[in-house]
Amino acid sequence: MGGNAAICAEHISKDYGAFRAVDDLTFEVFAGEIFALLGPNGSGKTTTIRMVLDILKPDTGRISVLGAPLNEQTKNRIGYLPEERGLYRGVPVLDVMVYLGALKGMSPKEARRRSLALLEQLELAEHAKKKVNELSKGMQQKVQFAVTVLHQPDLVIIDEPFSGLDPVNAMVIKRLLMDMRSAGTAVVMSTHQMQQVEEMADRLLMINRGQQRLYGQVDAVRKRYAAHAIIVEGQGDWASLPGVVSVEPLGETNANGAGVLLHLDERATTDSVLAAIAAAGDMRIRRFEEAVPSLNDIFIQVVEAHHG
Amino acid sequence: MAKAWLVAKREYITNLRRPAFLIAAFGAPLFSVVFMLLVFNVLMGALEEDSLGRIGFVDLSGVLADAVEAPDNFTRLADEAEAQAALDSGALGAYFVVAADYMNTGAVTVYSPSRIPESVTDTIDRFLLANVRHQHGDREVFNRISSPVEMVVHLKDSGRTLDQSAAGGLFLIPSVFALVFFISIQTSSGYLMSGVVEEKANRVIEILVTSVKPLELLLGKVVGLGLLGLTQVLVWLMAIVLFVAFGGEIDFLQGVTVPADLIAITLLYFFLSYAMYAGLLGAVGAVANSEQESRQLAGIISLVGIVPFFFISAFIFNPQSPLVIALTLIPFTAPLSVILRMSLSTVPAWQLVASVLILVVTMVLALWGGARVFRWSLLMYGKRPGLRDLWRVARGQTGARMGTAAVKEQSA
Repeated sequence: MGGNAAICAEHISKDYGAFRAVDDLTFEVFAGEIFALLGPNGSGKTTTIRMVLDILKPDTGRISVLGAPLNEQTKNRIGYLPEERGLYRGVPVLDVMVYLGALKGMSPKEARRRSLALLEQLELAEHAKKKVNELSKGMQQKVQFAVTVLHQPDLVIIDEPFSGLDPVNAMVIKRLLMDMRSAGTAVVMSTHQMQQVEEMADRLLMINRGQQRLYGQVDAVRKRYAAHAIIVEGQGDWASLPGVVSVEPLGETNANGAGVLLHLDERATTDSVLAAIAAAGDMRIRRFEEAVPSLNDIFIQVVEAHHG
Repeated sequence: MAKAWLVAKREYITNLRRPAFLIAAFGAPLFSVVFMLLVFNVLMGALEEDSLGRIGFVDLSGVLADAVEAPDNFTRLADEAEAQAALDSGALGAYFVVAADYMNTGAVTVYSPSRIPESVTDTIDRFLLANVRHQHGDREVFNRISSPVEMVVHLKDSGRTLDQSAAGGLFLIPSVFALVFFISIQTSSGYLMSGVVEEKANRVIEILVTSVKPLELLLGKVVGLGLLGLTQVLVWLMAIVLFVAFGGEIDFLQGVTVPADLIAITLLYFFLSYAMYAGLLGAVGAVANSEQESRQLAGIISLVGIVPFFFISAFIFNPQSPLVIALTLIPFTAPLSVILRMSLSTVPAWQLVASVLILVVTMVLALWGGARVFRWSLLMYGKRPGLRDLWRVARGQTGARMGTAAVKEQSA
């Protein structure tokens, strides 16, 4: 296990009575990466997060956070945004932020300065003096996010960062998370929004019924589930190409004509098909890519495989 | 511990700004003072308005021959016919006739178009009494007959001396003390409980426990809200002191002082029983699933505290009875019992010491067990632990069977 891991969990398990919520999970999260924690509802994501944060103790296994078992000093370097979150309602936004910042070890002055800067960045500056319950739900979400990253933590853990946000605000949060990654922060996000994971995450852990199903680089995981097929758009007699077993029309058509999915036999590779198209001379292509399944498809496939 | 102080400061300041608190702390004493003044004024005013206007009298007995101390609105009339005419014309509101054989029979007939207010009959009483006394000399004898006892009560045990007019105040002061005491404790520990319930509901608790040790969090809350309750007590005490200082105007407060030892004991019991209630209600808040549920649980706990009021007659007439002693020793009823007994008479030293010691022990246990339950059940949303689980946790056994080993103390 790497020494510079922000989170290092080894064989952790957790039972609720007879129900095994988390079953022998081992994973690491590194500084400077966005790590996606995926899984259907009730698969053990939140329990895993709570064990990492020492809210729950694992029944077995070991967890170290920022290089050691979680202690009061490392708590100041962690930002956590729980699911189904809220804030103190009848209290001004800035007061809540300064209080929660101070609890993370910031001086009140610094907490105030950072809060105002973040509110500015999130386009909430004019609402700083308003009470939390006077803000819209989306604005409250942004304030909660601001509280999570206020103290510039080395490890940020967010349960469903984008739930309840409109696309514009989701983009703002996404940019902030990507900036934090560039600055070397380890970001863990638990989510159902696969598209965000594809766009943002470097690595992922997918769990189902408390057990690890997929773990590793997002690209590598998708490749592993590749159907050995190629998506092409253009004109030509695709079926005549060597190595193509069958041609499946894709639903998506545009001005350039229909796209098709070319299923390949075992010997054919992407390169060999591309070379054959070039050699044929009478074929035109506008799009040529390996048919990698979306994470969404993989997610459904993995979950159904274990329920079926 | 620096973070516990932050929590304490925050709890104190935010709750101090609550409208509900401001009303309870400042509005209620103000309201009480205004209300009492109003009651006195209205009562005084009512007495005057109740009179029937001019009242005539016809004296057939001679008792009022050279009438003294006649009220301003009394008018002598020559005979009943004249009086009846004046009543009919509205010049009189009523008249009374003192019968010729009054000295033997006391017969007085009152004529009035409507009901005779008590204040009028009292005035007639006093008028006749004054004149009988005037005519028949010996004032001392009459004074004794009309008011046989002018009592001064000297409480040997406490060395307090009260004259009769202060007897009303004797009950007023402990009652007000007890009221202030319980409102403050209920306010503080109620805020503690509803604060925990709120933080659980909005999940801020998860952010808090990933920033602060749960025990520091609870400690901060207990200290901050304790100071809040103390603020409330001090405001009320000042109001009482002011009220008593200006109370010279009001009959039944004359001769009443607020003894220093009573204030000291009140503050001591405030600290101890607040900490006890804080431990218990903090645990209730952590266990309860909703504000409503927590209020019901807290209501039961705090109701026990006012039980001594139900037995107030025992406190007055039989302060050394086993019941009173038991109520003095039981930690939940001790504060009110001791305050009542200290104001009415005195509490033997051994009972006071035993009462304080039992309360201290209970307080420590409540805080300790409360903190464990607090730590353990903070994150159990939607599932209420059974009584047996709570008992096990409060005693320090881990809740492994419940699936949360959260009670295991943090190693770091």
